[in-house]
Amino acid sequence: MASAVVAQDLFKVYPGSHSRTPALDGLSLTVPTGGVYGLIGRNGAGKTTFVRIAATQLALTSGSLSVLGHDVAREERKIRERIACVPQESRPLYFLTVEEVVYYYLKMRGLPSVEARRRTREGLEELSLGEYRRRLVSQLSGGLRRRAMCAMVLASDAEMLFLDEPTTGLDPIARREVWAAIRRASREQRTILLTTHYLDEAEALSQRLVLIERGRRILEGTPGELRGRVRYPYRVALQEGVAPEELEPYGRVATVEGGQTLVFAREREARELARWALERNLRVSMGPVSLEDIFLDVVGRSIDEDTPAEDAEPGHDEAKA
Amino acid sequence: MSGRHRLRALGALVVLNGLIPIRTQPFYVVYLLASPLSFLFFISVLSSGAFVPFGVTGGLILTMLSAGTGLQSDMTHYRQDLKFQDIVVASPVEAPTYVTGMALSELVYSTPGLGVFAVIFVVTGLANLQSIAVLVGVLLLVWAFASALAFTLATYLRDVRETFMFSPLISLGLSVLPPVYYPIDRLPHWAQTAALFSPTTYAAQLVQGSVGLYSLSFGHALLDWGALIAITAALFLVAAFKARWKEP
Repeated sequence: MASAVVAQDLFKVYPGSHSRTPALDGLSLTVPTGGVYGLIGRNGAGKTTFVRIAATQLALTSGSLSVLGHDVAREERKIRERIACVPQESRPLYFLTVEEVVYYYLKMRGLPSVEARRRTREGLEELSLGEYRRRLVSQLSGGLRRRAMCAMVLASDAEMLFLDEPTTGLDPIARREVWAAIRRASREQRTILLTTHYLDEAEALSQRLVLIERGRRILEGTPGELRGRVRYPYRVALQEGVAPEELEPYGRVATVEGGQTLVFAREREARELARWALERNLRVSMGPVSLEDIFLDVVGRSIDEDTPAEDAEPGHDEAKA
Repeated sequence: MSGRHRLRALGALVVLNGLIPIRTQPFYVVYLLASPLSFLFFISVLSSGAFVPFGVTGGLILTMLSAGTGLQSDMTHYRQDLKFQDIVVASPVEAPTYVTGMALSELVYSTPGLGVFAVIFVVTGLANLQSIAVLVGVLLLVWAFASALAFTLATYLRDVRETFMFSPLISLGLSVLPPVYYPIDRLPHWAQTAALFSPTTYAAQLVQGSVGLYSLSFGHALLDWGALIAITAALFLVAAFKARWKEP
């Protein structure tokens, strides 16, 4: 099956940017057709820049990028016929009702009224927005507005969806509802490019993931493959403080927070450490590393830390300056 | 996008940006009346009624021009604050369809103003077949160039606050300084030359000429039509090639 997105050696420098590094710095990746492909990285790592270029909203500086078999520079119209996008920080028009947000978006895409009404009804039900359908957007919480945006594109007929941080600001229950809708869309053989800095979300939804840092691809693969590529695939958590020098022979002592000591280790060392801790009556837990641990291991920083301003991709406003 | 799909998109945009907002804020219906009626009031008082016809023809042109400045504000707000333009770009809707739909939606707000001034136009005895035909043609061209200019500007502005600055400047440059509300011969010679750079000068001369407020020869009228159409076409070309539908 053809790939949905093929990116080769992408560079993006924003006009007038004073950044030391390009927003995209030789990024290459391939998104398979069908399913969810997750883009993860810190704020300013280049995720939104990539999504905006692939969604034909932003010009590329150099490199080649095809979406659904069409070149983004020369065949924009053909791509736009088949995609839909929820941009980062987008909001619905405040004077519309929730139902109108979805319905008029579908009408704008050219759907006939009957089909637009049916899809609107189904889309709102899918995201548990049925009871809010007559409510004005101006009367909704930020989370409900975001859900309305998601309902809008998920209800569309687009083959490929670009969802840029779609669940930011949602409560845990609402996030799960959006996840369920995304999973359903992916089962319909639609391709979903998802950016998020919630690593649990990326892991729960994505069949494949790419980790981006400073505009470059750092790691790519299934969540299982990513685990296989890190030096220390196991994580041992010790509840009580233990002197780091005692633990260093087992692996990498990464963080000590809230009295908890974390050690990243290979399987044999992790088992030995767990046994060592149990023999000393220390409370200990052991398991495979999470995506967050992998991120910390590979990038050396938490995903919650922003990219330094001089290296970050510009915010939307700066990009438009 | 097929022709039928484009029509659906146009209809959706007109309802979305033109009709629905009035439901939540009915004052949208009358706000475009404020400036033209203010000018008409001042002109009537200051000229003891002598310049009322200029106030009426000028009011019609300004009402249509205001649809353009309104479009500029709406499009900037939608692009910058709501990322609505990004949503539309990543969809089958093409830029001309979006701009036309949004420009048509602004006509909804102009309609009450146009209605009021049209009634005054008839009541003051300015209406005849020729003047109505000229008025319709001129107003369509004013709406078209104002919309093209508004779209181009809206794709460059970085914040909706910048539209607060540009809208009065556009009004000043296109409706107050040029001879829209008074005969051009009231201006000193150098200002008459400067006024030729404004498309509203030609629009006003054509309307004023058609109702007998200004002596306009056939050749002069042809030149005015030519200039108005040429400036409109030029602004369309600028919109087509310089507006940032996709960002650089």
